[in-house]
Amino acid sequence: MNVSVIADNLGYLLAGAWPDGPVGGLMLTMILSAASGLASAFLGLVLGIALAMSGGRTRRALTLGLGLFRAVPIVMLIFWSYFLLPVLFGFAIPETDTVVTALSLVGGAYLSYAVAAGIESIGRGQWEAGLALGFGRWQVLRVIILPRALPAMAPSFVNQWTTLIKDTSLAYVIGVPELSFVATQVNNRAMVYPAEIFLFVGAVYGCLCLVVDRFAALVARPRRLPRAGRA
Amino acid sequence: MSLFGDLLAPRYLIWLLQGFGVTLALSAAVCLAGTILSLALCCLRETGGRLAETGTAACVGLIRNTPLLVQLFFWYFGAAALMPAWLTAWLNSPHSLPLGPADLRWPAYETLAGFFGLTLYAAAYIAEECRAGLNGVRPAQREAALALGLTDFQVFRHIALPQALRIAWLPVVGQYLNTIKNTSLTMTIGLAELSYASREVETETFQAFQAFGIATLLYVGAVAAVETAGHAIARRDPAGAARR
Repeated sequence: MNVSVIADNLGYLLAGAWPDGPVGGLMLTMILSAASGLASAFLGLVLGIALAMSGGRTRRALTLGLGLFRAVPIVMLIFWSYFLLPVLFGFAIPETDTVVTALSLVGGAYLSYAVAAGIESIGRGQWEAGLALGFGRWQVLRVIILPRALPAMAPSFVNQWTTLIKDTSLAYVIGVPELSFVATQVNNRAMVYPAEIFLFVGAVYGCLCLVVDRFAALVARPRRLPRAGRA
Repeated sequence: MSLFGDLLAPRYLIWLLQGFGVTLALSAAVCLAGTILSLALCCLRETGGRLAETGTAACVGLIRNTPLLVQLFFWYFGAAALMPAWLTAWLNSPHSLPLGPADLRWPAYETLAGFFGLTLYAAAYIAEECRAGLNGVRPAQREAALALGLTDFQVFRHIALPQALRIAWLPVVGQYLNTIKNTSLTMTIGLAELSYASREVETETFQAFQAFGIATLLYVGAVAAVETAGHAIARRDPAGAARR
């Protein structure tokens, strides 16, 4: 084992060419993860609610569309957004944005199923009670159903975020200088000690996933709720 | 620039189909090897005592919490550097096993590294699905079997595992689908599968829409076929798996 190859390139692995050039390395991985994590959570919520609240043909079309995103490898989706987005919008789009777009769509497609399942897991009686009280369907959803369904969905969101952290490594295929890409650059430059480099990078990703997982567990720890209303 | 342009020349279509063949063959091999490995892991974890349990849990956690891409790079670049020189040389040199009319040729190093990395990754995920299946087997089943005089291993093999497989079947099919999609990452270590072929075709023809469109359709077709087959098996024989 030779740690000097890591120590010599640590700055490059952590931040890329920054502050002299664009941000890269671990910092870019975290930026990509955060951006696609937020966007996929938003997309997942909107699409999941649409899935749960729609019926018949709309629902079937939505299921098919979301299923398509889940059936295609992420590498393919990154290629699609990389080559197609500039054609659609008519001007150049930074590679990082195309990666965030692709990852958000995949993450959103996966999360929407979890969100729909969470909403549907709340018993029929809750809906009927809300409607009987004179609420509209959307009011019932917002005031009664979502506050109970969202905590149940939290583990799915955390799982999807750790998956997204790992999936940002796929930005490599279009040359975005995130952690995996700069690791291969360092590897190509040093030529020796590839095992050390990739073990280190793997460990960094592992820590990142672990931190998100622990942090989520801490935030989502069941709090002692006032027992009123439970009867 | 027109989106579709002329139809791709037959030669490029053949590239894509060849890539698709590699994707299918690699997926099948990885699913098979990954399933066997995951069952062995599960068996070890259930019947091998505390040390085996901690060890397998650590390995599975390590594999599940790092990107597949980095793992493939490790097996492709890193493992070659860690292995003794004679072994690297032997793995890299061509060998063939004459089998009557057809020779079985030794695969290229990137194929070996890709197969190995994908198999470990798939096995870690399938093992977790199997464990969830085992947790779904009621404890009374195990106790009844133990009371009948079966050993720990027999209980696992004949009572717990068959029921667990029935519970875990659809999630495992989901992992097979993931494996098909994950083979696309081996393009980064130069394995000429479907994604690699589509990128090559795009580079040569500049017809991104067709190259990626055909590749995407082939992926969707493969995933849909396997998913349909998996559901058909689950429906056809809902109780049969327990009797196997």
